[in-house]
Amino acid sequence: MMTTQQRAAATSAPGILRAPKRGSSRRTPRSGRSPLHSGRNLFGFALLAPQTLGMLVVGIVAIGGVVQLSLTRVNVLAGTREFVGVDNYTRIFGDPNMAVVLSNTFFFVVVLSIGGTVLSLALALLLNQKLVGINIFRAAIFIPALVTTVAWTLVWGFILQPGGLLDGIVGLVGAGPVPWLRGEWLTLAVFAFIQLTKNVGINMMIFLAALQAVPQELLDAAHVDGAGRWTRFRHVVLPQISSSIIMVFMLMVSGSFKVFELVLLLTNGGPGVQTSVLAFEIYRQAFRLNDIGYASALSVFLFVLVIALIGLIWQFRKRMVFHESE
Amino acid sequence: MSRSDALRSRTLRRIPMYVLLSVIALLFIGPVLWMVSGSFKSIGEILQYPPKIFPEVIRWENYAQVFSLQPFGRQILNSAVLMVLICSLTLLLAIPAGYALARVRPVGAAIFFLILLSGVFIPPEAVIIPLFRAAADIGWVDTFYPLVIFTSVLSTGPVAMFIMRQAFLTLPAEFEEAATIDGSSRTRTMVQIFLPLVRPSIASAVVFTAWFSWNQFLEPLVYLRSQAMLTVPVALTLFEDPLAGPRWNVQMAATTLSILPVLIVFLLAQKHVVSGLTAGGLKS
Repeated sequence: MMTTQQRAAATSAPGILRAPKRGSSRRTPRSGRSPLHSGRNLFGFALLAPQTLGMLVVGIVAIGGVVQLSLTRVNVLAGTREFVGVDNYTRIFGDPNMAVVLSNTFFFVVVLSIGGTVLSLALALLLNQKLVGINIFRAAIFIPALVTTVAWTLVWGFILQPGGLLDGIVGLVGAGPVPWLRGEWLTLAVFAFIQLTKNVGINMMIFLAALQAVPQELLDAAHVDGAGRWTRFRHVVLPQISSSIIMVFMLMVSGSFKVFELVLLLTNGGPGVQTSVLAFEIYRQAFRLNDIGYASALSVFLFVLVIALIGLIWQFRKRMVFHESE
Repeated sequence: MSRSDALRSRTLRRIPMYVLLSVIALLFIGPVLWMVSGSFKSIGEILQYPPKIFPEVIRWENYAQVFSLQPFGRQILNSAVLMVLICSLTLLLAIPAGYALARVRPVGAAIFFLILLSGVFIPPEAVIIPLFRAAADIGWVDTFYPLVIFTSVLSTGPVAMFIMRQAFLTLPAEFEEAATIDGSSRTRTMVQIFLPLVRPSIASAVVFTAWFSWNQFLEPLVYLRSQAMLTVPVALTLFEDPLAGPRWNVQMAATTLSILPVLIVFLLAQKHVVSGLTAGGLKS
């Protein structure tokens, strides 16, 4: 496996974004030049055409459309649109509700990305040991990842209902019913917990695979050199799995903007907008309040936010990652 | 002191570890078990405080109600049909594109790659408004067209393309050379020589795509209207009694039913499921 990959990397893979030099391809034992070449180009274009055309058409409709709509005020009932410039954008920053929505959104981004990465790494380390029946525990942690987000949310709604399982459990120690879903920080924390347990299994599996790929000789050598557990983890394991860590972190960051089902199904963002997030606010403004222009401005804002964060982490990755497989 | 004694003492020392692991595991599967238990209770039992862990009697009628309150069989079929359609379109787009980028590499391959990959960075929530309006203009509301086409092109296609490109990249060049010398045409080389070699990656792409479509909520919520067109996740949210509030037991029965097929697939093909679900992230 490893050898095939290395060989393939050596023979056929240039860097992700480096264009192959014209005519420098090493594969075809070339005899004739340009006829063969143009034939290859045509074949390549034909294979790429369906997805590229689809992407361009849908992408332009989607992004062009949302930017255009964000500069207008749409009257859904009358079917009219008027150009209002950047009014919708200035409205975002003047809207007192948005301060709450944005700080909630950032709360989830920070807690879910950092918490999710640390938790899944910790679980992977814990489950990366040779124990009888360890696979059962791995499967148990993976199971929520097999439940749809909606189903997981509904099950938690059932657990959190007044007088439900969780109230029953805190009742055992004499604590009264707790207003789990009535807003404030408690509801946000509950949401974060539900979302974390949903996807931690997948990330744990990614880390387990990475941990099992750390060469045993390296660990043994460090052991012989007298490195303790922590030193071995910090200086041997961590650098070896750094690219997986950054990858999981990026997945968690882009995923953490999608705390949508929880908000819609458990609190509807309420009371007020206390438990709302940007993704839900877009949906609410567009499909419940028919404020298409404002919702579009929020969409563009979300899009820019995601791209900026991913770009930032990508830059960071270049400096942090110890070795890159590609 | 025999070996079995040593083994026993080692097992004893591991008991705290097993306790810890069990507690953690319970946090993850406890909700699922509670769901199953709730699906067999009467609504009276559910509202009773403190709650009981096990139902008094197994009430299968909750499961019957799932199908009488909504066309749930039809809705499961809808989700399954959508899954098949989205997987098919995604593979049709992604396999040729991934092959072209990895092995054919025409002029401008890097630009094509960037264009195709850009879908990964577009959050579906951010483009649902213009796409919904476009769908409404073409008359696609309450049909599967927007779900199949937009999802395949924007969401699952780019990831599947990436998985397939990586798979084709890892194959040694000799295969191609041998095929070229044998006089095999380009299309035949791709279909008959390379495609069979990347079957595990195709499986990953299928699992990833199938899961993505089965899990989708916002898109079907926005594009679909009539009860007979709805998908399972949307249908699950509609088991409320307008007067008496949520029918928790029926809802939990429906939720249990919705999880069952996935669990069965997982048990049958654990390796493929895990690799498929992690493949969305395995981009290095």
